[in-house]
Amino acid sequence: MEKGVLVIGGGIAGIQAALDLADAQFKVYLVEKFPSIGGKMAQLDKTFPSMDCAI
Amino acid sequence: MMDVGRHPNITLWTNSEVVKARGKPGNFRVDVLRKARYVDIMECTACGECAKVCPVAVPNEFELGLSLRKAIYQPFPQAVPSAYIRDIEACLGDFPLACSKCRDICEKHCIDYDEKDHVEEIRVGSIIVATGYDFYDPREASEYGYTRYENVVTSLELERLLSASGPSRGFLQKFSDGEPPERVAFIQCVGSRCAKRDILYCSRICCMNSIKDALLIEEHFPESELLIFHIDVRAFGKGFEEFYQRSHGLSKLRYIRGKPSKVTEDPETGELLLNFEDGETGTIERMPVDMVVLSSALVASEGTDELAMALGIEVDVDGYLKSEDACASPLDSTQEGIYLAGCVTGPKDITDSVAEASGAAALAGRHVLGQELEIVKRDVEPIDVTGEARVGVFVCACGINIAGVLDVPKLAAYGASLPGVAHSESVLFACAESTQRQIQDAIVENGLTRVVVAACTPKTHEPVFREACAAVGLNPYLVEMVNIRDQCSWVHHDHPTEATEKARDLIRMAVARAKLLQPLSERELDVGHETLIVGGGVAGIQTAIDLARRGFEVHLIEREAELGGRTSTLASLYPSGRSGASLIDMKKELLNSLGVDVRMRTEVKGVSGFVGNFEVTLASADSGGEETLSVGAIVIAIGSDIYKPDDDFGYGTVPNVIANTDFEDVVRGEGRPTFNERPVETAVFVQCVGSRGPKGNPECSRYCCQSAIRQAIQLRERGVDVVVLHRDVRVYSRMAEEMYRRARGMGVTFLRYDPADPPEVERDGDRAKVLVSEKTQGLTIEIPTDLVVLSLGMIPKKAETEALKELLKIPVGSDGFLLERHPKFGPVETNTEGIFLAGCVQSPKDIGDSISQASAVAAKIGALLSRDTITLEPVTSTVDERLCRACSQCVEVCEFNALEITELPDGRRVATVNEALCKGCGTCAVICPSGAISIRHFTDEMIETMVEAYLEPSEEYGTNAWPEGDVAE
Repeated sequence: MEKGVLVIGGGIAGIQAALDLADAQFKVYLVEKFPSIGGKMAQLDKTFPSMDCAI
Repeated sequence: MMDVGRHPNITLWTNSEVVKARGKPGNFRVDVLRKARYVDIMECTACGECAKVCPVAVPNEFELGLSLRKAIYQPFPQAVPSAYIRDIEACLGDFPLACSKCRDICEKHCIDYDEKDHVEEIRVGSIIVATGYDFYDPREASEYGYTRYENVVTSLELERLLSASGPSRGFLQKFSDGEPPERVAFIQCVGSRCAKRDILYCSRICCMNSIKDALLIEEHFPESELLIFHIDVRAFGKGFEEFYQRSHGLSKLRYIRGKPSKVTEDPETGELLLNFEDGETGTIERMPVDMVVLSSALVASEGTDELAMALGIEVDVDGYLKSEDACASPLDSTQEGIYLAGCVTGPKDITDSVAEASGAAALAGRHVLGQELEIVKRDVEPIDVTGEARVGVFVCACGINIAGVLDVPKLAAYGASLPGVAHSESVLFACAESTQRQIQDAIVENGLTRVVVAACTPKTHEPVFREACAAVGLNPYLVEMVNIRDQCSWVHHDHPTEATEKARDLIRMAVARAKLLQPLSERELDVGHETLIVGGGVAGIQTAIDLARRGFEVHLIEREAELGGRTSTLASLYPSGRSGASLIDMKKELLNSLGVDVRMRTEVKGVSGFVGNFEVTLASADSGGEETLSVGAIVIAIGSDIYKPDDDFGYGTVPNVIANTDFEDVVRGEGRPTFNERPVETAVFVQCVGSRGPKGNPECSRYCCQSAIRQAIQLRERGVDVVVLHRDVRVYSRMAEEMYRRARGMGVTFLRYDPADPPEVERDGDRAKVLVSEKTQGLTIEIPTDLVVLSLGMIPKKAETEALKELLKIPVGSDGFLLERHPKFGPVETNTEGIFLAGCVQSPKDIGDSISQASAVAAKIGALLSRDTITLEPVTSTVDERLCRACSQCVEVCEFNALEITELPDGRRVATVNEALCKGCGTCAVICPSGAISIRHFTDEMIETMVEAYLEPSEEYGTNAWPEGDVAE
């Protein structure tokens, strides 16, 4: 079986790392302590300086 | 977030923790504790029936306890995975109180009380740690009264209060009486930069976050007075200074330099009283406010120590994970094969975190080379869409973002009344994973052949709905979106009736167009696997190394005769102390050992082609010859320039004034430094020369405060009296605040100057004197000095940037630097696919940030070129050869060089479209005088139909009338 990469933490950094690896066709395990990914960024209303919606 | 849930190559384990890792790079065995969720993720549809019957209510963690949730709950509406979870601590269970109500009501039987925690072992080649941060508990800063006074909140609590989907539905109110606050005070640096709290560093994000919150409050409650109490305003990222300056336009916002000593509450009125000294005027004030927002420090996330232990990596003195070298290899942990991304190595904003994450992905990928998975082609039977269109309409409530203004159920009922609509419903969050499944089910059950989603902007969400439809076989180009959030509920929130009518019209127009949509198929194109990197500074070198390590062929060209750019001129890098030249030498050795094709004194002369298929002409200054390379991707890493002062601050007229770039000459040798053969007893640094103003870079240049402080320390250590004149001290890198503290401890004087009344430098015999206005005392201070060092801003390489802009068709930002595709979702990409930015060419950066970003580029190119083909967007223009008269107007207006005039076999000349270059912008179709050009997916017929549907509501398109009868939600 192909060996993958383990990403610990499903906030914005972990999500981005997991997606970049998966897009390069690597197998990724994304492990998150909480019941959903999203981390702190999911709790933000808007983000500076572009005022984009955080979710 | 949803991309993760859908990605076939990602296994997502939530509610799970790493217990132990063993092994070495390329071969780690990791034990993961998978805690019981008690709900089957695959089966749960997040219908919420379980939570409705659950009798237990506990504080909702996601809302920071500002609202309640049940013991079986979904963390937040857009959670991924979109499934409920049972809180075992709060649940009554089926014993001894015999509740089990949730299990009884769940129709899909997905609740299992007997599920057990278990440990699973996985084998991986490398590990990325991205466990983020936590907030400092502001109760420890007890002088601010958090939890003692109701109206003292944290910045994250404010974030929830301002959120339309938050506990107060976006209506900011005081906890004491539910009224909107009239005067809100933000207190910065609560915990941060504070020896008493043992948090010495700057938390980096809070200044900008408070400015953002102030702007949001102003937008919703223009009557509120806003105060931001701060030490320095650290707006140092790309576009931050502009954002900060914009906030100065708010008449109700006041920046106060200084931190309140304490917050008290008037027991009579409930008002909060702040005691503070205004640092600008030196006056002591006492001010009543009715809400206080604390910008709590960011601290290492809970469990960092345990995780470090489990992985065998080191923790630094500040509690965050330790990088091998914060400057030269910021993403490497102290153990090979384990990489670090985001706030796990200290506070940073989303943009920097995202760049680091991609960088870490590039580094982690090289341990699993040859382990790539097969590309899975979607194998679903396409839905037959010939025959009369059957449209499905989905109207999103977006929590209350839309439903708070528009009558969503009524709009859904209206949708159902339109001709050709076979199904219409309202949904709570169209983007939620569970709603995607709901849409898919509706397509299959109702035989839908077109889908209209009335929700938010297609810019961010169209791919989501296209993907959902494609997954069940409906061609993704049969989806039409209506933006009833931005265009109706947001802009017309004071006129709900009219806004709902506008949404109704937009939905009618969308349905009319949807019926005309035709399936389009994406084309595949071969890609070349080589990369050209333009610029051999530290960023270009790093991208080259990371790509070569991944097995890609790389060409690196440099205009000068030596690699290394500005980095190689730096005598000592912080914090390692090594020289810039030695760092470059080490990286150069790697380049050579990896077989990168390095060409000195070479420049780009011409570029043609498109992503995966660029043809680049290179000119060598040595041989005078030209050569053409075929590459799949191009990286621009040409760096930046340093501002050249004209006669600012006596430069060029007073002999004692030097540029910071010439500083190394002063400290060469041992003992007391000399300048012009005189010993230097006093030195003055002037900051922001060519930064944050009309001259040079309008933004903060990021590097100069840290650099000046290092230089000041070097002088102070050798007995020189040093004064630093600054506007704000913006030190934010790891260990930089600590260095600033050390400088002050050594006796370096920091004085703030007002850019409206800047310091003056005059000649004074062999010496110079600097005159600075000191506002609190109303004095002008005269500093006699032997040396004045100007900290010069970082500016774009103007001529080169302009040339690249023309050559590659990539945009330049308002600061003159090349513009990234998106600050958060595409920080290293450009608007032209296949062209990437690394290092200071995009905006000023320090070496560590440049290296992270350069690695991020390698990750993006790795993903792009690891495939043999790329997919082309089919929404392009097409030319009707019978109508084309080869007038060339389309060729002239096309910004993407996608059109040319060619000759047909019969000798007629016509315009032809290169579909790989065409972005489907439509400019050519507009200019074409003979009507020969049309845009697929946006044909004239579709647009005319929409206009007709708007202007002439009729039996054909549907009338304006609301359906009769009450509408059930």
